[in-house]
This record gives sequence, C-alpha cells and structure tokens, in this order.
Amino acid sequence: MNDLFIQVVVSGLLIGGVYALLSIGLTMIFGVVRIINFAHGEIMMLAMYLTYWLHAAYGVDPYLSLFAVAPVLFLLGIVIQRLVIQPILDAPALMKVFATVGLYIALQNLALMLFKADFRTIQTPYASASLMFGGISVSLPRLYAFLFAIALIVGLWAFLKFTLVGTALRALAENRTVAQLMGIRVARLYRIAFGVGAAITGIAGTLLLPFSYVFPTIGSIYTLVAFVIVVLGGMGNMLGAFFGGLFIGLVESFSGTYVSPAIKEATYFAIFILVLVVRPQGLFGMGKGSEEVGLK
Amino acid sequence: MTGKQMVLSAALLAGLMAVPLVITQAYLLHLLILILFYTALTAAWNILTFGGKVSFGHAAFFGLGAYTSTILLLKADVNPWIGLIAAIGVALVGAATMTLPLLRLRGPMFTMATIAYAEVLRRVAILWRELTAGSEGLTIPFRPGLLYLSFTGKVAYYYIFLAIAATAVCLSSWLFHSATGFHLRAAASDEEAAQALGIDTNRVQVVALMWSAGITGALGVFYTQYVYMIDPDLVFSVTLFAIQPALNGIIGGLGTVWGPVLGAVVMTPLGEFLRSYLGGVRQGLNFFIYGVTLIVVVIVLPGGIISALHAIRRRVRGATASVPAKEGA
Repeated sequence: MNDLFIQVVVSGLLIGGVYALLSIGLTMIFGVVRIINFAHGEIMMLAMYLTYWLHAAYGVDPYLSLFAVAPVLFLLGIVIQRLVIQPILDAPALMKVFATVGLYIALQNLALMLFKADFRTIQTPYASASLMFGGISVSLPRLYAFLFAIALIVGLWAFLKFTLVGTALRALAENRTVAQLMGIRVARLYRIAFGVGAAITGIAGTLLLPFSYVFPTIGSIYTLVAFVIVVLGGMGNMLGAFFGGLFIGLVESFSGTYVSPAIKEATYFAIFILVLVVRPQGLFGMGKGSEEVGLK
Repeated sequence: MTGKQMVLSAALLAGLMAVPLVITQAYLLHLLILILFYTALTAAWNILTFGGKVSFGHAAFFGLGAYTSTILLLKADVNPWIGLIAAIGVALVGAATMTLPLLRLRGPMFTMATIAYAEVLRRVAILWRELTAGSEGLTIPFRPGLLYLSFTGKVAYYYIFLAIAATAVCLSSWLFHSATGFHLRAAASDEEAAQALGIDTNRVQVVALMWSAGITGALGVFYTQYVYMIDPDLVFSVTLFAIQPALNGIIGGLGTVWGPVLGAVVMTPLGEFLRSYLGGVRQGLNFFIYGVTLIVVVIVLPGGIISALHAIRRRVRGATASVPAKEGA
C-alpha cells in the first residue's frame, strides 16, 4: 500500500469521528423523542457561530469554548423541544416534517440576520500544524477533533449505561408506554434527550470549525450527512451511527482525493438513495418506534 | 364540479380578466403576476400531497425547466414555445429519476431525498459551466413578441400567468376528483388498505408526481421569460420554489384543491411586503418570519385556512350539516 492510500484512510477516519458525533446527536433525538429533525445541521451551524463569535470577540480558544457551547446548546435543545416539538408530538408524521423544516428555515435565516452570508473561520496557531508518522501527516486540529469526538462518544455511552437518567432514556427509547407506567417523567426526559442531542451536535460543530468554514446555509449539507449516516446505521441505532460516521468519512476522503471534492454532496445523495432503496432498515437494523415518524 | 361552482369559477375568471382594465400601476400588476405564479406553483406542488407525499425538492423540476428552455434559446435559438415542450420533457425525466425514492421511501425520508435532489442539481448547475455559465447565470435577450414570449409592460404577462394559474388549478381539480385522485387520497389515508382494495397505489403516486413535476417545469420556463435572468441559486432555490409553495399549501389547507390557492393569495402579498420592508432592514428577516410562521401554523392550525372556514360554516349551519372529509395528512 502506498502512502497516499494510507493518508486518505487516516483523513477519512479522522473526519468520520466528528461525523459520528454529529449523527449520534440526530439518532439520539430520534430514538427517544421519535422526531426526525430537519434542523439538525442548523443546530450545529449555530454552535459553529457561537464558537466563532467567542473567538472573534474574546479570543477564546475553540477547544476552551466547548465549555460554553455545550451548556448553551443543551439549553437551546430544551427550548426547541418545549416550544416546537412538544406541541406536535401527537400530530401526524407529515406535520412533524413541516414543523422541523420551519425550524430549519428560521434558524438558517437567524444566522443570516446575525452574521451575514460571509464565509467565516477562526485562525489558531495550530491550524496548519501536523504530526508526521512515517510518510503520513496528520493534521493536528483534525486529530484533536477525532480524539474529542471519540472521548465524548465513550462518555455518552457511559452516561446512558450507568446513570439513572441514562437508564431512563434507554427505557424510554425501548417502550414509551411502559416507561411512563414505571414512573418515568416522559416530557422532562424528552427535553433532556433533545438537550443532550443538541449539545453533542453543537460540540461536533465546534470541533469542525478550526479546519472548516461556517456560513448560514452550511447546516443543510450537514443535515444531509447526518441523515445519510443515520440511515446507513439504522434509525435510532447509536452503534450503527458510529460506524456509519466513520464509513462516510472514508467515502468523502476517497471521493475527494480520487475523483473531485466538488462532487461530495452528489456522493452523499447517491449513497442515501442507494441504502434507502436497497436496505431501508439500514445496515444495522431500524430502531424501535420508526413507524411513529412514518418510516414503516 | 356542480353547476353553481362552474358559474362561480367562470365569474371569478371573468373578473380576473378585467383586472388590468382597472389596475395599471406596474408594481401592483407585478404583485398580481406573482400571486398568479405562486397559485400555479402551489397547485402543482399540492398534487403530490393528494397521495400523502410531501416534496421540498420541487425546485429541482423548476430549475430543470428554466435551464432547458434558456439553454435551447441561447445555444440553438429555439423559441421558448418549443423550449417549453422540451422543458416539460426534461422535468418529467427528472421526475422519473425520483420515482424509485417516491415508491420506496416513507414520510420524512422521501422529503429528505427530495431536498437532497434539488441541492445536488443546484451544485451540478454551478459546476457545469460550459452549459450553464455557472454562478454567473444566463441572460435572455429581449426580443419582444409572442414568438419569443417577451413583452414590454406587465399586462401581457398578467394574462399569460392568469392562463397558467387557471390551467394549473383546473388540472389539480380534475385530478382531485378523478379516479386517480380518489385512489391517491385512499393511499394517503391507508396505503395497505387501498392496495387490498385493488388500487395500484404505485401507479397513481407516479402519475401524481409526473403531473406535479411537469407543471412545475413549465412554470420554470414562464418564470424565466418574465425575469430574463437565471442562475443556479435562483431557480434551484429550495426556499423560493419548494418551501414557499409548501408554506402556501399548509396555510391554505393541504391536500385540497382550493386551500393552496387561498394560501398563495394570502401569503404572496404578505411575503412581498415582508421582503420589501424587512429585507432592507435585515437580510434574512423575512424568511426567518416564514420559518416561524410555518411552525406556528403546524401547531395552531394544521388544517389550514380551509379547515377553519369549514369549521365556521359548520358552526353557522349548526350541527346537522355534513362533516367535510378530513384534510391534510
């Protein structure tokens, strides 16, 4: 194997880690609250702007700003759940689509109002730094992003596995009615699930910013990425989202290197349609409750 | 359509035809043209919702139509009327590539696929510079006359868009009340039950998509001939040509014939007002309000204006009046 090939694999896996985080945010909200959020990428976009603003106005290092981004996005998630999702939980699947599409339009244009249409990024001293392993160079911010993402995914897994709230969330994803009968406060846990989902999605955005741009319409492409990954891994399936994220990272890296970076979106779209048509339940099986959002 | 409704529709059309005799201000005519344009676009988009499918990707068919006639005109001097036929053809081919997702994908997944489809076509139009001139866009030369579908003044356009809107609404009404329409509505409420009754739900869904996409492609041509300049971000704009008709549809009343018309008539002037007064204040404010409106309507009035009107009529007539069929999803 030549160095270029290994280089491409490494870059793919590094970005794939962040994509995994982004998609776990989407699939977590789907699994617990049973809503397909068309505004998912916009949540990430807002976090990127928050990171940008903290850096531009106060010189806060992007990794340090995670301590602000995570709680702010957690609160944003709670607000969205309370104001937009809660009132339509029992509405037909179609209406839920309209509501979150409305949210996507609103958030995208909120960003346009606040930050204009310019492409923005942040300059850090380590932006172009890289480590060399043999002939392979690893970009430092991308490596940090990957390590943060993996650490967070492990942390999230532990949270769901070992804490009381996490257990309640899993119970809720398993069976809403029984969970309610067991005394779980459903509405409150929905808010927590949306909050946690939004927070990890936001963190994914912060991790991306040191080596990418943010602009108001950036969200829709990441919504598509997250959808492709979640569909690949099976709706509501977190492990599936993890591997799906790495896989899409590899696909992006390979098509970008060997074909053209410009066809990125077309590649996502092709995979999306292919998976949905050939194996709609995803490679790892569909989560419970898919019928409630109109998937079955 | 009953005799009374026929008479009402004819009177409405006659009234609309007389409008340019009274209104001569260019800006007001422009506004009326936009209302007619969005009435047609929303009616076309709405055909797919008869079968319970929501597309946010109709910008794809719109853009395909706009680019087909424009490229033919600029590269081969084909007049827009022949271009129109070609544009409908290309839009139908575009729709044909969406049939597999249409039939295999449920609810939100189909919607996501449609958005992605329009986005991909927008990217292709930006990158395929030899054909589309990329983001710089294409400009149509001004050659007045019916042959090249270009006119000085707004009155001719008013009548053209009136004819298109009337055609689109008639087609939508005809489809709604046809056997296909009944089958679509049956498929929307319970696909398996409809299939058990022997309805070929796949066939009727495809028929609906073709009508919807064909009319939308044709509208792309007329729109281009009205604005004279197109670029990928304009004609493949999901916000302008997919979200906007969807918003009109849901505000008027989804899956009905007249709901989308009402929605377009109410929302277009409102949208223009927001754009001209608020767009200058802050870029994006008008669409921000759109997004919020969409959320509020879904929560407060999911059946749209039509359902509210039905409710009022029921209350006026008392409880004995017949209950209209459940609209929307």
